[in-house]
Amino acid sequence: MSDPRVTGAIRYAQDVEFEGMLHARVLRSPYPHARVLHVDTSAVPDHIVALTPEDVRGLGSYGCQIKDQSVLAVDRVRFAGDPVVAVAAPTRLEAEEALSLIDVEYETLPSVYDAVEAASEGAPLVHEHHPISDNDAAYFGMRPQQGTNICHRFRIWHGNIQEGFDKAEVIVEEMYRTAGAQHAHMEPHASVALWRGDRLEIWTGTQTPFNLRMDLAGIFGIPEDRIRIICPPMGGAFGAKTFVRYEAIVACLARKAGCPVKIVLDRNEEWLTLNRHPAILRIRLGARADGILVAKQVECWVDTGAYADCGPGVAQKMGYAAVGPYRIPHVWVDSHCIYTNLPPNGAFRGYGAMQAVWASERTMDLLAQQLNVDPLELRLKNVLLDGDRFCTGEVMHDVHFIECLTAVADKIGWADHQAGKGLCVLMKGMQTPSRASIVVVANDDGTYDVHCATAEMGQGAWRSMRLMAAELLNVEPNRVHFPIPDTDIVPYDTRTTSSRSTYMMGRALVEAVRDLKKRGEIGYGECVNKGGLDPDTGQGIASTHWHQGAAAVKVQVDEETGKFQIGKLHTSIYAGRVVNRPGAELQNEGSMIMGIGTALFEGITFADGQVTNANLSDYNIPAAGDIPDITHDLLEREGAEIHGLGETALPPVPAAIGNALYSLGIHVTELPMSAEAVLNAIDHKQTQHAAHDGTASNPHKR
Amino acid sequence: MNIHYKVNGARVEVEVDPDEMLLEVLRRDLDLRSVRTTCGVGVCGACTALIDGEPVSTCIYLAPLADGCEITTVEGLGSDHPVQRAFEEEHAFQCGYCTPGMILTVKTLLEENPHPSDEEIKVALGGNLCRCGCYVKIINAVKRAAAAYSGDPSLVR
Repeated sequence: MSDPRVTGAIRYAQDVEFEGMLHARVLRSPYPHARVLHVDTSAVPDHIVALTPEDVRGLGSYGCQIKDQSVLAVDRVRFAGDPVVAVAAPTRLEAEEALSLIDVEYETLPSVYDAVEAASEGAPLVHEHHPISDNDAAYFGMRPQQGTNICHRFRIWHGNIQEGFDKAEVIVEEMYRTAGAQHAHMEPHASVALWRGDRLEIWTGTQTPFNLRMDLAGIFGIPEDRIRIICPPMGGAFGAKTFVRYEAIVACLARKAGCPVKIVLDRNEEWLTLNRHPAILRIRLGARADGILVAKQVECWVDTGAYADCGPGVAQKMGYAAVGPYRIPHVWVDSHCIYTNLPPNGAFRGYGAMQAVWASERTMDLLAQQLNVDPLELRLKNVLLDGDRFCTGEVMHDVHFIECLTAVADKIGWADHQAGKGLCVLMKGMQTPSRASIVVVANDDGTYDVHCATAEMGQGAWRSMRLMAAELLNVEPNRVHFPIPDTDIVPYDTRTTSSRSTYMMGRALVEAVRDLKKRGEIGYGECVNKGGLDPDTGQGIASTHWHQGAAAVKVQVDEETGKFQIGKLHTSIYAGRVVNRPGAELQNEGSMIMGIGTALFEGITFADGQVTNANLSDYNIPAAGDIPDITHDLLEREGAEIHGLGETALPPVPAAIGNALYSLGIHVTELPMSAEAVLNAIDHKQTQHAAHDGTASNPHKR
Repeated sequence: MNIHYKVNGARVEVEVDPDEMLLEVLRRDLDLRSVRTTCGVGVCGACTALIDGEPVSTCIYLAPLADGCEITTVEGLGSDHPVQRAFEEEHAFQCGYCTPGMILTVKTLLEENPHPSDEEIKVALGGNLCRCGCYVKIINAVKRAAAAYSGDPSLVR
């Protein structure tokens, strides 16, 4: 009984094959913004199927939150990489060659690549209208600003911000930037589509089978039950395999060709498919002289690229996450999701929290320095406790920020001396509202089948579900089977995102097993969490429970080169109760390692709207040699709720490192913290030292 | 052109184009799916196979160059090789996509250096990327496998 991952026997979507299947390739726009004047596919040989904008013009538009996409770019391309024509041929090579036979005439249009610029008056418009999606991924009040590039605006009003700053005795303010990043899941996007009569069947690596089905039904104008989505395990996803990616293109090709069609992306195409939102955040934070926080103002400019995808949701989450796990009587947040002519950005492990925590927690250390207090003490004095109200009005429960902070501080010897050390605390919401449902079937041979839509992307969800089911059914885990999710069989689930599955589907499973024991052969269970935020006031319930954690780090800096070494990195993450211990450890370690990549070197670079590092040679991801001494602990409490662990340890890593540098007087505001950026900050420090400028409220402000 | 390999112990004959990469041939003609495409430029190691015992990125290795060679993939190790066992026992994977390439690289490392230090392990794994970030447990798995190879239990964590 060897694991299929060590024998190589595991089969991903990219391994799915059908008799007579064709292979698809996509012709992409070379221009960031242009009108498509003419598409000529007449030179493509007859046995190769070409799907043109004319073929998809009559189909529905789609988009999980804003309906701004068509299957291929019709009349206009909005980023360099926007799909214009797709072809399907007996081999990939033939398909690739056919692309060179297609002639497309463009007329270029003015374009915009910076979120702040794009949000300004007079900027070229990426989309003229922002229709709100009917997909249930548009689960909150959307506030598109028609006639601008802002496709969602989220605000929080809590207390009276002016009054708050009037009461503040110390105020710090800073502006931060984070670079775009690529998920770089090892298995590229892969999908196979075929039509069985009037039914569409898709095999695809997806975290969101039901959202995908909803959008495809809208595109083809057919009922959802005529679409079947089957989800093999994925070779990594990290948020990239969500909503509609290439499924609509292969479905159209399969319909036109009359046979199954498969697409597997080339690596460089991943940078043109979905990335992490680059963001700009401005934070203004005020406190009394005794260190009690009184006012916080947060502005976010979230660059969602050429299509909204779930950017509105990311902007919303970034907005409240940037307030941080603190009691602050006066809070004002204004977060904008903004179109630019860059490749689309979407869900990425952390979902806006990393950018928010970077800005928010760096600012806490600026304040600590101004107040001349210990950054740990400042946090301990202000963190939310059970029964406190967050700025959204919701009352906090089961919060453990103090334990997380003290655990990480102890691990790096915070009490001894603090130069070269930094720490960070965070809270991250879980998808609210949402619904999970599950069916458990008892087989005659004493085994059980668990049917649910929870996707496996390496996070270990299927193992966790089997372990929980085995415990509830009082059988060995090998008697519990978990067939790959198939929307013809499994009941509805919101999606496998936001570290919600072990908690939400786990609770549904408890109900299903209870039902099974009552009924004998089959049991159904569901779990619903209710809530949501008013987009204009930010009041309501952001999350029915909170992912919580802290990180601490020691660094050594070479002031000659700007290079620095991480001596030790520790995170403490609240788990409540651990279900699958190796899986939980792997999620923490993997999140920390991805956080190191984000902190130190990962960043997508552009020149005139073109990605300039779309390969794993120029865009580095962490290798074994990049891993410092990393440790972590999973905080558990008897009888506590399960807390998801898929993302929590990523967002605190960059900020903890940034704060460690700041403890040495090196103030970096942009991610990644390359040696060059650190060296610039060192130069800046030395210049300031020479100038003896200590009068501004923030001496390090750029 | 006609090429001969010995793949996982069996002699095979395949028809390949002169400009085809070995990765394509292993997956398409020989159905060896443990050899996987990721970066396409020879940096990530997901397409690793052993050619005459040496780990090679098959995505940039021309298929005809391996004519007459012995090729090993994870399918050829069966399911109970000490390195496979060590990876499984240490839970040294998440999505599993990079795992076969890792296992082949580690097998070669331990044959050449039965007692690698942490630094030597990290250097040896430099050409095998794991985006899930399982490196802590992968390094533990290498040490466990090393112990199993040499029968030295003190190396087991």
